Amino acid sequence: MIALVRFLVAGYLWSARVLQPLIVIALIVVVVLLQGPGGPDAAEPAVGTLGDVAAFMFPVWAWAARGLLDTQPDEQRALSATAVGRRWVAVGAGLLAAYGVNLALGMIALLVPLLQAVLAGVPVTAVLTGCGLSALVAAAGTLLGAWTSRAIIPNPGLSLPALLGGAVAVLLLGIGRLAWLSVPMIAWLRSAHGGPGAFVDGFPGVALHLVLWSAVVGGAYVAAARVRV
Amino acid sequence: MRLNDVAFRYHRRSSWVLRNVTLSFPPGGVTEVTGRNGAGKSTLLRLLAGIRRPLRGTIEGRPARVGYAPERFPADQPFTVGGYLSHMAAMRGVPDTAITTWAERLAFGDLLPVRLPDLSKGSAQKVGLAQALIADPALLILDEPFAGLDRTTRADLPALLAELAAHGTTVVVSDHQRCLEALPHTNRLHVADASVTPHPGNGPSPWTVLEVIVPAAEAAAAATDLRAAGYRVQRRRADHDT
Repeated sequence: MIALVRFLVAGYLWSARVLQPLIVIALIVVVVLLQGPGGPDAAEPAVGTLGDVAAFMFPVWAWAARGLLDTQPDEQRALSATAVGRRWVAVGAGLLAAYGVNLALGMIALLVPLLQAVLAGVPVTAVLTGCGLSALVAAAGTLLGAWTSRAIIPNPGLSLPALLGGAVAVLLLGIGRLAWLSVPMIAWLRSAHGGPGAFVDGFPGVALHLVLWSAVVGGAYVAAARVRV
Repeated sequence: MRLNDVAFRYHRRSSWVLRNVTLSFPPGGVTEVTGRNGAGKSTLLRLLAGIRRPLRGTIEGRPARVGYAPERFPADQPFTVGGYLSHMAAMRGVPDTAITTWAERLAFGDLLPVRLPDLSKGSAQKVGLAQALIADPALLILDEPFAGLDRTTRADLPALLAELAAHGTTVVVSDHQRCLEALPHTNRLHVADASVTPHPGNGPSPWTVLEVIVPAAEAAAAATDLRAAGYRVQRRRADHDT
């Protein structure tokens, strides 16, 4: 599985597709995050920024995952699956490669906000909570992107609208009474903007929701992708 | 390996590509699959390789090590030939030495540093064959492997397949150009009208004697090649001057 993960990541990096999310992240870092909070009350907005990063990175992570999974031509996907022998290994390797790349992209996006949080005197627990939140949201974003990859939606004219529609649907569902069906974006934004204490206290509930959401969506993806390799 | 009452179609409302297919592939056998374009040869090969699942019926006894070369190798990938084969060897848990072995055997050693998108069709086809062969597969499935190959490799490939089969590999080849026609002991299947039937030419055919005259210095090598291709070879003193 690790050999296939390496192959997928190498293909994504060498094809330069990785530049697409990198450019978006660089723009957001330069235009928004570098104008970070300052002054004596900077800790509270600095924690809020950690929640904001996870929110705006959610669609970027989904987009990057779709890009990585679609880098292999269809025929190569068949050859890779034959080489590793078992379909679930090929599907799992794809998810692992996409998640690994997304964690790296997340670290780049978080670099400036984490530095600002440390300089603003944000408690270490809140800083670690921000990292943990991003790691969990990256997994959810990866799975949304995987569901719109070519193995599931072969028509590129449908898969991109499905990606955008999925991201919007997740956001809108999170507002109404069906919020439990969506990723808890509103919940983590609310707790992050409530200060370091509220952010840390609200994290277990948000984390549990994200883990359950990812388990259900990921399990359904593996079942669907196994028969489409 | 055995197919029991296998049926397949690509979409729920589309017509069946294959139906009621029951076949056996003995270990160490070479099977040539023929049929017109679109008859379902590639679909049958993909089912055998495990890339597609039958919608009905079962496939039993597929070996763990399967080598599959598609009709068109996907050359649009950001790797060199050597880099790509190294990744494929790693996926199969095979050392990189297998790459040089097969690169020399298929005569593309000089292409290892070349980028895949820069390959000609025939060279890309060789890379496709090599990635299928490096794992020492117990089941080798080749979809139109002769298309685009240079004359030398095309002439060598049947002997190579016979050699693999002699070592126990089950070989299944779709061959539109009938390049395997001369290979003895080959099972032939014909795909048409969603069914797969043994070719009328199947079964043991009578042997005949063909005289081949070669330079004395090359006689041993030629005899080895012919034996590898499955022919019986008897050497006798030539009474020809040319």
